[in-house]
Amino acid sequence: MSRRRTAPLAVRRRRTGYLFSLPGLAFLALLLAYPLLYNVWTSVHDVGLRSQLGGPAPFNGLANYRSVLTDPAFWRAVRLSALFTVGSLVFQFSIGFALALLFVRPFPFNGLLRSLLLMAWLLPPIVSGALFRWMLEGDSGAYNALLRSTGLGALAHDWLTDPSTALGCVIIANIWVGVPFNMLLLLVGLHGIDPELYEAAAIDGAGAWQRFRRITLPLMRPVSTAVLLLGLIYTFKVFDLIFVMTGGGPVDATTVLSLYVYEVFFRFFRFGQGAATALLLLVVPLLTAALYVRRLRHEGVTA
Amino acid sequence: MTHTTDRRSILRTAGAGAAALGLSGVLASCDTGGTGKARKPRTVTLTLWDYFTPANFQPGLNALIAGIEAHVAGVRIRRRAIPFADLVNALTLAAISGDLPDLAIVDNVSMSSLGGNGLLADLTSRVKSWGQARAYYPGPWASCQIGGKTLGIPNNSNCLALYYNTSMLHDAGVTPPTNWDQLADSARRLTTRNRFGLAMSAIRTEEGVFQFLPFLWQSGGDLDTFATSGPTPLAFLKNLIDKGSLSRACVGWTQEDVNARFLSRRAAMQINGPWQIPVLRKAPFEWNVVALPRDKTSATCLGGENWVVLATSDHLDKAWQVLEYTQRPSVLVPYLESLGELPARKDLAHTGTWTSDPVLNLFLKQLAIARPRLYGPHYADISEAVAKAEQAVLTGSASPSAAASAAAVKIDKALG
Repeated sequence: MSRRRTAPLAVRRRRTGYLFSLPGLAFLALLLAYPLLYNVWTSVHDVGLRSQLGGPAPFNGLANYRSVLTDPAFWRAVRLSALFTVGSLVFQFSIGFALALLFVRPFPFNGLLRSLLLMAWLLPPIVSGALFRWMLEGDSGAYNALLRSTGLGALAHDWLTDPSTALGCVIIANIWVGVPFNMLLLLVGLHGIDPELYEAAAIDGAGAWQRFRRITLPLMRPVSTAVLLLGLIYTFKVFDLIFVMTGGGPVDATTVLSLYVYEVFFRFFRFGQGAATALLLLVVPLLTAALYVRRLRHEGVTA
Repeated sequence: MTHTTDRRSILRTAGAGAAALGLSGVLASCDTGGTGKARKPRTVTLTLWDYFTPANFQPGLNALIAGIEAHVAGVRIRRRAIPFADLVNALTLAAISGDLPDLAIVDNVSMSSLGGNGLLADLTSRVKSWGQARAYYPGPWASCQIGGKTLGIPNNSNCLALYYNTSMLHDAGVTPPTNWDQLADSARRLTTRNRFGLAMSAIRTEEGVFQFLPFLWQSGGDLDTFATSGPTPLAFLKNLIDKGSLSRACVGWTQEDVNARFLSRRAAMQINGPWQIPVLRKAPFEWNVVALPRDKTSATCLGGENWVVLATSDHLDKAWQVLEYTQRPSVLVPYLESLGELPARKDLAHTGTWTSDPVLNLFLKQLAIARPRLYGPHYADISEAVAKAEQAVLTGSASPSAAASAAAVKIDKALG
């Protein structure tokens, strides 16, 4: 009897462990697994508004996926999403890196300036989107006013209502939003590099460029990968900023995947098709996350 | 060592972020309408949703609700005002979560999609025994008839007309245009360095389509022949942009934006509806309204709202009594006057401010030729196709005929 009451320490530890993980598991099941499975179910049924009111939602196999994959608008959205993500990431990262290199050195007002820069990231996307929309407005916006007052009036343009410039403007806005986040994480990485390495290199006669090329870059690789992968996941699903700035227009010049899904759901009420698209959309961040996890494991082993 | 924990937390965030993407559609159903029905004996609380959010609408609606509660026995009204662009979404989400209101006042263009999806209660037999169908203008009344059933009662009507800045036209020696040629000519002559001759909305939502359809109809076309009849109005509008008379930025303007341009004197003429009158009355300049210029024929687009009862309501009888009450001329006239809206009933054409006020009267007269957007349950697809065609032409990314042909394929499919 007494044996059953007091199980071996290891077993008891494991049991307690499970007990502690229970809230977490319940949270995951309720808020992640259930909606995700429900989404999968929806994606293989013909679900419209009528179905939600007790009407039929017949199983239709892969028909939803087929209609998404044969929709030219979907592929257009894929291209725009790719452009938006790559364009944003390249500049967010390189500008963020440059700023991190600047802020890693001590100088007066360093802290103050850094906090001010963070404002861009702290602002709700609705607010930054509205600001950019207002500044880029064709006949009364700040940018055109600036151009006109500096004698560059010929360059004034309907930035957001011209299909050839709208995507670029949206990308620029997103870069502005994302730079501080990149800078902050990269700055943490830079602080993690042992200053003795630089001292040693300097004594050995390495110039500034060589120190950057041979010490900073290689040692920043893990952090950079993390920042870029996180940035990819985050940028790929940006919705609010674009929605506020252009609503996906003009025509469909800025209808990236997230806006495409929104339209399928809330303009056409094709829930089945929307769920299928959402799952297809999930593939990219999921693959990225998997890649990231693999890298982490790999580093864990080599470290 | 702190490195590892940092990374792990980052990883967790990454996983959550990735998964959240797939949930966007499903989580939305968390929105609840709040229909907790307080049941005092013999009193029911009916929930009412509408999109009359501007401040100047509130006194009229509050008075109407007070009237309902005083005169319809055993009814309390709990009202929720939702912004215009979100009402149909809110109703959709409420349908999914089972929290639909009992009553709603909806845009007449949403009738096909709401009714076609079975959200609206069938009022046919009640309306028949009520016997007042003939009192309504044919356009608004037709917008309530879906699939042979009566699914609503028109609340009020509106349509589009051409507003102009009196002194700008006077200074340019231009008289208000009555046909397309005159419209193009006066818009060009009214355009200066600081203003456009004409402002209108060509945004890629229903608002833009609402403003485009009159041009299509005026040129003698319609949506079922869009491949052949679409290029004419598209080319006409494109020409206005090419001449500089209409801002290319109109593809991003809502009707509110258009009115703002007119108010700040950056447009000499604008296409807009009577709901702007209360704001325009505060303008520091003189303005007036004329009917939309005609081409082969005169036409304008019918807007306005309908009362509907939601199919899921537990209190259909009470809800119908409320509708009946709101349609009494003694209730309807002061209510519409306070909102600055026009009646959908012909028998009210000779009472109320809209008979004496020349501006309102112009809109009222246009109701006779205002056409409802009755194109079946797949109107959302049609509307999107038209909006994109218009945007493609106005931004110069497609020719009028190419854009119209591309849109016609989608429109024909949606018309069935």
